[in-house]
Amino acid sequence: MENPIDLETRPDCAVIALHSVTREYTGHAGTVRALDHASFSIVAGEWVAITGPSGSGKSTLVNLIGCLDRPTAGELRIDGEDVAKMSATELDRFRADKIGFIFQQFHLIPYLSALENIMLAQYFHSMTDEKEARAALERVGMGHRAEHLPSELSGGEQQRVCIARALINNPPILLADEPTGNLDAANQKIVAELLQDLHAHGHTIVMVTHDPEMAGLAQRKIALSHGKVFCHPVGGPVVSLRK
Amino acid sequence: MSRLSMGALLRRSLIHRRARSFSALIALTVSAAVVTALLTLYADLDSKLHHEFRTFGANIVVTASDSSKGLPSDAIGTVRTAAGADANAAEFGYAVATTDRGTPVVVAGTDFSAVRTLNSWWKVDAWPSTADPSAALLGQRAAQFVADEHNLQLTFGDRPITLHGTGRLHTGGDEDSRIYVPMQVFTTWTWAKPSVIEVQVPGGEARVESAISRLRQAMPEAKVQPVRQLVEGESRIVDKTHALMYGAVLLIALTVAVSVLATLSASVLERRRDFALMKALGGSHSTLMAMFLLEALILAVGGVVAGFVIGSAAAWTISQLDFHTATLPRLGVMPLVLLLNLLIAAFAALLPVRVLRRLEPAALLKGE
Ligand SMILES: Nc1ncnc2c1ncn2[C@@H]1O[C@H](COP(=O)(O)OP(=O)(O)OP(=O)(O)O)[C@@H](O)[C@H]1O
Ligand SMILES: [Mg+2]
Repeated sequence: MENPIDLETRPDCAVIALHSVTREYTGHAGTVRALDHASFSIVAGEWVAITGPSGSGKSTLVNLIGCLDRPTAGELRIDGEDVAKMSATELDRFRADKIGFIFQQFHLIPYLSALENIMLAQYFHSMTDEKEARAALERVGMGHRAEHLPSELSGGEQQRVCIARALINNPPILLADEPTGNLDAANQKIVAELLQDLHAHGHTIVMVTHDPEMAGLAQRKIALSHGKVFCHPVGGPVVSLRK
Repeated sequence: MSRLSMGALLRRSLIHRRARSFSALIALTVSAAVVTALLTLYADLDSKLHHEFRTFGANIVVTASDSSKGLPSDAIGTVRTAAGADANAAEFGYAVATTDRGTPVVVAGTDFSAVRTLNSWWKVDAWPSTADPSAALLGQRAAQFVADEHNLQLTFGDRPITLHGTGRLHTGGDEDSRIYVPMQVFTTWTWAKPSVIEVQVPGGEARVESAISRLRQAMPEAKVQPVRQLVEGESRIVDKTHALMYGAVLLIALTVAVSVLATLSASVLERRRDFALMKALGGSHSTLMAMFLLEALILAVGGVVAGFVIGSAAAWTISQLDFHTATLPRLGVMPLVLLLNLLIAAFAALLPVRVLRRLEPAALLKGE
């Protein structure tokens, strides 16, 4: 029997495993291959930075891992499950369970307070729990701004709310597409420290970044160029699994 | 707020985009109001013409060819004999008298017990007793021209008379501006004779026709005419109005539907990112669809409630001004108004639902 996943990438404890994943966009102007036979694994508790020039396929990759999109070809396993085999409804459910999103544009609902934005993630996942939502805000240092609307918060503060929202359902994977892309140096530092704290607590983090300083915080880099992946195999001892 | 529910989410979203919500609500209120007013007025008119006038009341009228002389003295007896035993007939004499306020008013002499049987559709709060020779029945408009209904001072020529009103009459027609008195009182006071006899012959057209020819034979000096033709002519107009009204309703519905369609589409398009985010957070397709459709439903039902109140008030005002009758709100039109608004909302939701169905969170959340 053929093992579909490269042994070198430690598939035994892989929380994300890609085998020859290709994603093509077909439009009126022809077909664009945004991701070209990508194969790699990410183990639980790892902090991986995805880097590469603009248009190299970073967002495409993150959307695939986040189950917002499906591969054109190849196999993608998240937490051991083959994403291609799931129905659209199962995928919605799966995404709510497994993935916490941190966006460059924050994407908070404008008419809900910081607290309610976090409770919204609870609502779509299972049940709302105000106490837990407040605790998540405290954790990112935003407890005192719980009742404020996104428009009343600075960019850095909105991103902290966004991180609290990504954490609230305790997903095994945190996905961040340019989490500091819209932030100044001071706020970037706050977000970086938050991510370091989360990593220290065992969260798996996959982060797209253009910033070499941010990329330097990660344990491993996955470089993309024209849809092709260049990555180092998982090195050293397997890091502690998420709590 | 300690709990986040679908209801709370909808409320927040509707309030946050109040300008949009309001314009959709206004459009849906307008449609409900216009339809309520039209249907209420129509139902009122329809029930008067089709049911009350047709089923009850006279279908033959006998008038003196020379109204100043009046009908022959035994006319009512002749009519009753010629029309048949199962026919109802009542005689009327008319004169114009002056009230104590100096207002001219039409006084009609009649036989109250005969009128009561003939015109059973008249709305009378208290019929005068036939044993009371000075009892009068005041039309509801005529009552406004007299100083004291209970001490009714009327003058005909130079002859005054004192009567007392027992009750009010309300028909929505000419009767409302008349004062009815017993025939005996009328003839001794005005010296006028009865000039009109209204006859109701039960049964179909053929029976009415044969009664008419018998009456014409028995009373060659009088005019005998069917009332039915008049009523049928009017009901034909109503039937045409019917078609016109449904046409108008359809046109209004279409106009409103297009404007609601534009509003709902815009409200989904401008919130595509919010919906995409909810999907990324695990919201299923059906949850998002339910949220959007519930929002449209709230607006449609809100429009029906507000529109019903406004439309009923409009119908009441129109009928007061034009027909001097009060058209009361009819709850019966509500289901139709609701159905129409739901259809409008459903039509208006078609396009936004397609937008929602094709929502691609990946593309929407990616960048600018
Ligand atoms: N929906 C789409 N339809 C067609 N082509 C697309 C689509 N989305 C992305 N692409 C193409 O796929 C390639 C990879 O896009 P992607 O967004 O993944 O790049 P990226 O690495 O995230 O770039 P950036 O750093 O600018 O965000 C690009 O060439 C892009 O033009
Ligand atoms: Mg990108």
